[in-house]
Amino acid sequence: MKGTILRGSLSGGFDIRLDIGEEIEKIKVGTFCIVEGRTYDFLAMVMDEDIEAANPKAIYETSHTSSLLNEIVKGTGILDKVKIQPMLAIDREDGRVMPVKSIPSHLSKVREAAENDVFAVFGNPDDTNFHIGYPLDMEHIPVCINLERFIERSNGIFGKSGTGKTFYTRIMLCGMIKSGLCNTLVFDMHSEYGWEGKDEDKTRKKAKGLKQLFGAEVAIFTLDPESSRRRGVRPDYVVEIPYRSIDAEDIAMVWEELNLNQTALEVIFVLQKHFAADWLFKFLNMPASEILSFAEETGSHSGALQALQRKLIKLQKLPFIKENPVDDAVERIMQYIDNGMNVVLEFGHQRSMLAYMLVANILTRRIHELYVMRSEKALSNETIVNTPLVIVIEEAHKFLNRETGRQSIFGMIAREMRKNNVTLLVVDQRPSEIDSEVLSQLGTKIIALLTEEKDIDSVLSGANHAKMLKNVLATLDTKQQALILGHAVPMPVVIRTRTYGEDFYNDMQTGNTKISGFKGNVNKRATESGNNVQGKDFEDLMKELYGT
Amino acid sequence: MIAEVIESKTDQFVAETVKYHEIPGFGSFVKVQDGTRRIYGIVSGAYTGSLDGSGKARAFFKSLQELELEQPQIFSLLRTEFTAVVAGYLEAGIYRSYYPPVHIRLHLPVERCTDEEVLKISTNTGFLIKTLNCPNGNGDELTAAALRTVAILHDNPKEYLLNAGRELLKMLSYDTQRLKSVIERVDIL
Repeated sequence: MKGTILRGSLSGGFDIRLDIGEEIEKIKVGTFCIVEGRTYDFLAMVMDEDIEAANPKAIYETSHTSSLLNEIVKGTGILDKVKIQPMLAIDREDGRVMPVKSIPSHLSKVREAAENDVFAVFGNPDDTNFHIGYPLDMEHIPVCINLERFIERSNGIFGKSGTGKTFYTRIMLCGMIKSGLCNTLVFDMHSEYGWEGKDEDKTRKKAKGLKQLFGAEVAIFTLDPESSRRRGVRPDYVVEIPYRSIDAEDIAMVWEELNLNQTALEVIFVLQKHFAADWLFKFLNMPASEILSFAEETGSHSGALQALQRKLIKLQKLPFIKENPVDDAVERIMQYIDNGMNVVLEFGHQRSMLAYMLVANILTRRIHELYVMRSEKALSNETIVNTPLVIVIEEAHKFLNRETGRQSIFGMIAREMRKNNVTLLVVDQRPSEIDSEVLSQLGTKIIALLTEEKDIDSVLSGANHAKMLKNVLATLDTKQQALILGHAVPMPVVIRTRTYGEDFYNDMQTGNTKISGFKGNVNKRATESGNNVQGKDFEDLMKELYGT
Repeated sequence: MIAEVIESKTDQFVAETVKYHEIPGFGSFVKVQDGTRRIYGIVSGAYTGSLDGSGKARAFFKSLQELELEQPQIFSLLRTEFTAVVAGYLEAGIYRSYYPPVHIRLHLPVERCTDEEVLKISTNTGFLIKTLNCPNGNGDELTAAALRTVAILHDNPKEYLLNAGRELLKMLSYDTQRLKSVIERVDIL
């Protein structure tokens, strides 16, 4: 791609006039290019393409029978135009990467971004700079996501179903686990992260789970031991939830699944006030006569109480809710997490929204409480290690919708950011259903193809150049392509994600994230900026260890 | 020598041919050596008429062969003059595609340009603006003729026409309709 700046503005992006002979068909939306200004190189992204005539009549007048005339007019009278948005400016003298605060002048030359340009911005892969994919049409340049920044805030992975959200999540989880920067707790609704999952690729068929890749660093908890066993998984722990740990708030969270109305919710709070922690168990086992007297005593409506009891009986059918479980699941999870392990909670056959939301809510609420206490202690005592925790939830719009999002524990975590060292990784296909306040708090978004206008609008709300990115988003492939923007990447980038296959497994297991195919110079700029320490070669390490 | 300059202006000159029927082609390149300066022109029109400027030639209603046998004298009473737009000039070995500081003197001999000279002049497409703005009012026709003359001399005539066409389009303020009318007359490919 070669061209010159035709016109443009800082806010609206630039029109590039392609040089004669350049093929617009070969330029994909989402690719990178460099605008060579006088002092700066501007790294820009292709946002849109169109055809413009210098003289509007020309479009209609050109004869199709004269190829010579058509050729003359193409590129002079009728222009192939590419719309780009500068994202970063690179000082040509000292290589500093900075935000764009000025614009290149008219007729500045534009060229395709070279390997070094992209490399300078995204850096060399290492343990904290996680290689997540490649820029479009540059399959040998790693695009890295800065994990330290990633876990600082809550993040989102969005895309309509079938676009590979699960794979992006797996890849990000692998990166986080491998980096050791944080612990992860995955509420694995479809039991696809812990052990083997399905791979739609016919040659691979199965995708390895986290336990297979990281062994002892990952513990699989299950709500449905039978299902786990049938799939050949040996869970580390079977989770049982005592009635006592179910709060009125937890029930309020699943009001839709239990079909509760506002009155019922009010009654629940009355019940909890009256019976304290045992409210649910006592209420479910309350005979009709007692309900009547309770109604009289508290001034509630006995009919409403009976209806509520009938609705709450659904909870009794959930096999993992026990009166007196042998162990406390939350304590056990915390124990594993404290030991630096990552927990995947499989739901097995208990994949109803009711079970998923209830369990996720109960566990997260208590874990969050513990983290709040711990981070308070850590404030006063610096020796306490407080490793950040990333909680992965699927079908996030159920937890974070407009009605429940603001009060729920998940909404709270998303809003308070890293304050208490707990952040979320929300995975969802309907971002438009998520509360806009929560969405705006998400630090980094990994967005696969979305087609619903509402979803695209909401996922890009608050992003710079949202209008233009919209176009980029709509042109993504259905598989293995995603737009990453936000806190953990220096600029929005469209990537082809790494293939979750043997090469990736090897990278995760050997501890060597260096890209075998890339032989470019380790860019000075990137190394100097400090976020780019190249891993030692295996041989160097051997020498250091054994002195041979 | 094919002609002699009989009228001269900054932008064009008129020359009378040595023989009334030996005329440089429309759109062909001619040159006049004026002191140290060599002025190049593009033939933009021609006229043949009576030697005596006051009267017109008469019609005889006979074939040319019959006339040559019966009335050979009438041919020596004819004269031809042609106009040429000034395309540029060569001085001290450098070609400039603009008007010389002083228009050419009268009675200087006019020669045809060699192919090498035409190639050199036409490397720069500056001559096109002169042909387009030809004072005779036949700019499009002249431009097409000049392009026909020039393009075949280049190694890759199509490539040449493409580049010239692009320049022409800018000169025509992107009027593709007019470009079309010019390019359609360049049927050498």
